[in-house]
Amino acid sequence: MLGLNCKQVVARSSALIDGELPFWEALQLRLHMAVCKGCTAFVHQMRVTRSLTLAAGQGSPDDDAALAAVLARLASEGRDAG
Amino acid sequence: MDPRGGCTRVPGIGSDWEQVRALIAGDRAAFAQLFRQHNAAMVRVATGITGSRAVAEEVTQDAWVAVLKHIAGFEERSSLAGWIFTILVNRARSRARVEGRSVSFDAGGEDNSLAAAFDGRGHWKDTPALWEEITPDRIVAGRRMLDVVTAAIEALPPGQRAVMVLRGQQGLEAEEVCAILGINEGNMRVMLHRARLAVRAAIDRLER
Ligand SMILES: [Zn+2]
Repeated sequence: MLGLNCKQVVARSSALIDGELPFWEALQLRLHMAVCKGCTAFVHQMRVTRSLTLAAGQGSPDDDAALAAVLARLASEGRDAG
Repeated sequence: MDPRGGCTRVPGIGSDWEQVRALIAGDRAAFAQLFRQHNAAMVRVATGITGSRAVAEEVTQDAWVAVLKHIAGFEERSSLAGWIFTILVNRARSRARVEGRSVSFDAGGEDNSLAAAFDGRGHWKDTPALWEEITPDRIVAGRRMLDVVTAAIEALPPGQRAVMVLRGQQGLEAEEVCAILGINEGNMRVMLHRARLAVRAAIDRLER
């Protein structure tokens, strides 16, 4: 491969999926991926990782109890102040 | 005081302003919504910094009280989320300092997690798996995959963990994440990439 090797593609994979690579560099990566199953699979894995990370961050069962604690504290501090 | 005095609105943070107005007016539903949006992420970031979930929960609660107390002083220099996380990270860091814990958000040295994956010419030794089993349906069906992701994020060093939560989960702008953590954008991208590599490896172990 004249352009990037697999290791270099991997190093730029986050920037690629985040759309942060300059046009020509992104094109080089895509040209490499067109002939490299390994890098195609890897970049797909990074996309899945990004989606799962986002999904794992949604909500938490502990929120309601924590919210009640904050509200209770504000109420008591409000009373102390007044 | 910001000389713009709240006259001009930067596009995209108008909804922040509505939320802020509701909070100033004491709107409980607005607060509950904001709380659910950020609380778990705040605890995750603070746990990375303080090293203790219990301490992190305390710090997060303090941060929320501070947010509500000072909400009238919120200015549009950052997003509301950016402002909240700035308060949180500052509090978590000073708490860590009090407890003699030094926290650095450096990217650290070279990352070698995939060093063994390549041959001398930088090509794959073994082709990465296709992850054909991971589909949106299956992810929704089982919490296990997401638990693995959460555990992998919790095992990251504080800086990577904070970047992953702020940028990868809460969707804060890159510049805001940098300002909150006091790092430059290059370092932030390196940390995000390394964090993703670590989470990717955890998912890959589960898939094999
Ligand atoms: Zn390749």
